[in-house]
Amino acid sequence: MSKPVVETRNLTKQYGSFVALDDLSISLQQGQILGFIGPNGAGKTTTIKILVGLSKPSAGSAFIDGVDCFRHARKIKRLVGYMPDTFGSYDNMRVREYLDFFGAAFEIPWSERGKRIDEVLETTNATYMKDRYVESLSHGMKQRVGIARTLLHDPQVLILDEPANGLDPQARIEMREILLNLASMGKTLIVTSHILPELSRICDQVAIITQGKLRAYGSLADIMKNVSQTRTVEIQLLGGEQTIKAFAALKEMLPAESSLSKSDAESVVRFQSDHSEAEMADLLKQLVQRDVGVSQFRELQTDLEDAFLSVTKASTSGGVASK
Amino acid sequence: MIAIIRRELVNVFRSKTSFAMQVGLGLIFALLVVLRWPTEGQVDLANTTATEVFRIFGYGLLIVLVLMAPAFPATSVVREKNKGTLALLFNSMIPPWRIYLGKLIGVCGFLFLLLILSLPAAAACMSMGGISFYSEFLPLYGVLGLLSVHYAVLGLWISCRATSADSSLKTTYFVILTTAVVSLVPYLLLQGSDSIVTQLAWWLRSLSPIPAVMEILGDGDVGNQGINTTEGALGAAGRFMLVAGVTTLALICDTLARFNHRLFDKPRSQELMADDMDGRSQIVRRMFFVVDPQRRKSGILPFFNPVLIKEFRTRKFGRSHWLLRIISLCAITSMILAFMASQSSENWGPEIIGGIMVLLQAGLIVLFTPSLAAGLISGEIESGGWQLLQMTPMSAWRIVLGKLLSVIWTMAIVLSATLPGYLVLAWIVPEKSSQIYQVLICLLWASFFSVFVSAAISSLFRKTAPATVTAYAVLSSMYVITLFVWLFRGKPFGHRVVENVLSINPIAAAMQVIETPGFETFDLVRSNWVIMGVGCMASLVLLIVQTYRLTQPR
Repeated sequence: MSKPVVETRNLTKQYGSFVALDDLSISLQQGQILGFIGPNGAGKTTTIKILVGLSKPSAGSAFIDGVDCFRHARKIKRLVGYMPDTFGSYDNMRVREYLDFFGAAFEIPWSERGKRIDEVLETTNATYMKDRYVESLSHGMKQRVGIARTLLHDPQVLILDEPANGLDPQARIEMREILLNLASMGKTLIVTSHILPELSRICDQVAIITQGKLRAYGSLADIMKNVSQTRTVEIQLLGGEQTIKAFAALKEMLPAESSLSKSDAESVVRFQSDHSEAEMADLLKQLVQRDVGVSQFRELQTDLEDAFLSVTKASTSGGVASK
Repeated sequence: MIAIIRRELVNVFRSKTSFAMQVGLGLIFALLVVLRWPTEGQVDLANTTATEVFRIFGYGLLIVLVLMAPAFPATSVVREKNKGTLALLFNSMIPPWRIYLGKLIGVCGFLFLLLILSLPAAAACMSMGGISFYSEFLPLYGVLGLLSVHYAVLGLWISCRATSADSSLKTTYFVILTTAVVSLVPYLLLQGSDSIVTQLAWWLRSLSPIPAVMEILGDGDVGNQGINTTEGALGAAGRFMLVAGVTTLALICDTLARFNHRLFDKPRSQELMADDMDGRSQIVRRMFFVVDPQRRKSGILPFFNPVLIKEFRTRKFGRSHWLLRIISLCAITSMILAFMASQSSENWGPEIIGGIMVLLQAGLIVLFTPSLAAGLISGEIESGGWQLLQMTPMSAWRIVLGKLLSVIWTMAIVLSATLPGYLVLAWIVPEKSSQIYQVLICLLWASFFSVFVSAAISSLFRKTAPATVTAYAVLSSMYVITLFVWLFRGKPFGHRVVENVLSINPIAAAMQVIETPGFETFDLVRSNWVIMGVGCMASLVLLIVQTYRLTQPR
């Protein structure tokens, strides 16, 4: 495996006796997108601030492309593009002037700046906004200008704090496309969001953090696997009578802890099981042999929301569903 | 409405700042009386002690009101509007006029409390004898009470129109300091004639509470040139009460007419681009603006500090077309004054003209500098821009330099517009040339000091509004309150005390240099320049240290 682009080692941040971040270790490869999720106050922004050199860790270390985020904060600024959850606009400034200011602040030569601004506006589909006043833009437009600003100095890593927050569905889809496009350009992205279905569609890696601790970390499939040891199975039946019949049969076949339930209105029976694929096939065969009218037999997919809820539930009750 | 009053007033009472203000004022008033309370067994038949204390007391209250009154109403509506809580209030069953009334009572309540705090000390003055309840005590409190309501109404009126708490605060201070002080100048210049312009100037000065308070306290007229000012049947106090009463009512009506959905019914900024218009429109705009604010701007050139350019582009008064307007106004005023000096009218020598020019420039410095510099760092933190600046490779020093230069350039351009006046003065009275150079050095110190102090204050706050109020309070205290001590030279303050107090005021030093009547007996220049130098250095160091601290990881 190649050298990680982003790496944290036992990162800890304490404010007096309060531990905001506890022993966080993650690593990311080039072109990967990390979905960094957790409830409010979990420690996401603290981690991000350490990564971008705005906060000093109490213990541990963080590296971007091998550069220590705290010791070499100035170098980090050239490697990272950071979009905070607040936009940070200025009055009476048009989008082009706004980007020109940050371009000059990042010491992009004057002769190249105009071209670079056009490029980043095009990447974020914001070219049509260049003559508009920043303060007059809608929230979704501002988010795009914000990403354009982070791209100006062509950083290797983009850290985006809640980029989809407050966006309408159309803008969310556009944002998703922009982020995937950036990853395809070889950028490494760390994205925090509360909108988990959006994240699950774009992330290669997911880190779930609660109360400052990393509860789950890895690919989405790995997390799902770890989180949901049992599978939820749903059987669609041919009417109410068949539902009662199937429910009775399954009650005999399954152990008591299977959370067997039925819905007469939907003609559906659901249960949870840790059966293997072969055992599942046998279960279906038995139902058919008992003359139960089964129209569908399917496993319900666990999504990121379920995984998140499962992890956060486990962490509040004392358990940790970590990798 | 009770709920609004409770929130507006009781919450203000609970704040540490207002508590400190109340305790501080109470102590100052008590101290004033204690210090002047007769300790000897002699009878002061002329009651001079009581009169002196009451005069200081009256002017002190006036200054307190002028400095403190705008802070609360100016942010009251706009802050709620931007937070979204005003929309929630409008959506409740409380009618808008009751919301407004609740806010007004809340603000006035606090100001009245400050006046009430002074009552025991005022009563002590009365008990010393020589103060008339009906002709001095009651009129003074009447004028100050009306002034509180007037400023509260004015602040709320501006707050309804502003887009941010900071701009509302700056505008309110600008309007209040202009109506209180600058409105006196036209009559000061024109008094003695019966023309319509003089009559208008006579009514204009009625906007200021200063002549009214001076009349009540028996100090004649401000800037009286020995001309018998005809105050008419109403007197200065009566005229002020009439003008303030009428304008207060008008402002209340206008605010109430707007205090509804119209507050939120504002179009977004025009996306107009002058470059995309036809040639004729571009020419017309060019003639009107000289520097068209809507034209497409070129990129920031390599040898410019980006922060400096950003400040000029985002600040209203930093933008070229505004600067040109201010420069023109300053240049014209300065030339008119110099022309008047060249005419050598009977009562006006170069000393008085020079003094007026110095005062006008001091006004410009006090009005503009906090408005420009008090938000340099705090405004950036408040808007979230500071975090973005921290993420750029710019050093703390480069950020500070860009920000300071943006204010220093603006002030230099505005102040240099008054140079022609001084040049004419130096040409008319060549023997005064060296004095005029010294005056210019004093004004330069005043400008630098004001910029550095305001900027240092801005680095200590996370929000612009309190930084602006603090900067205005500090500079006004230095430039105005020290002159207030000068007003009482001889009684009760001795020459030495007045000289020591005035030595921190560069404007007083400038007036001493130009030999403005009343200042010529002091020796202020050398000590003032030392104080200004030390003050500038200390402020600059504080600003750099604080900015460096803010750019470091937390």
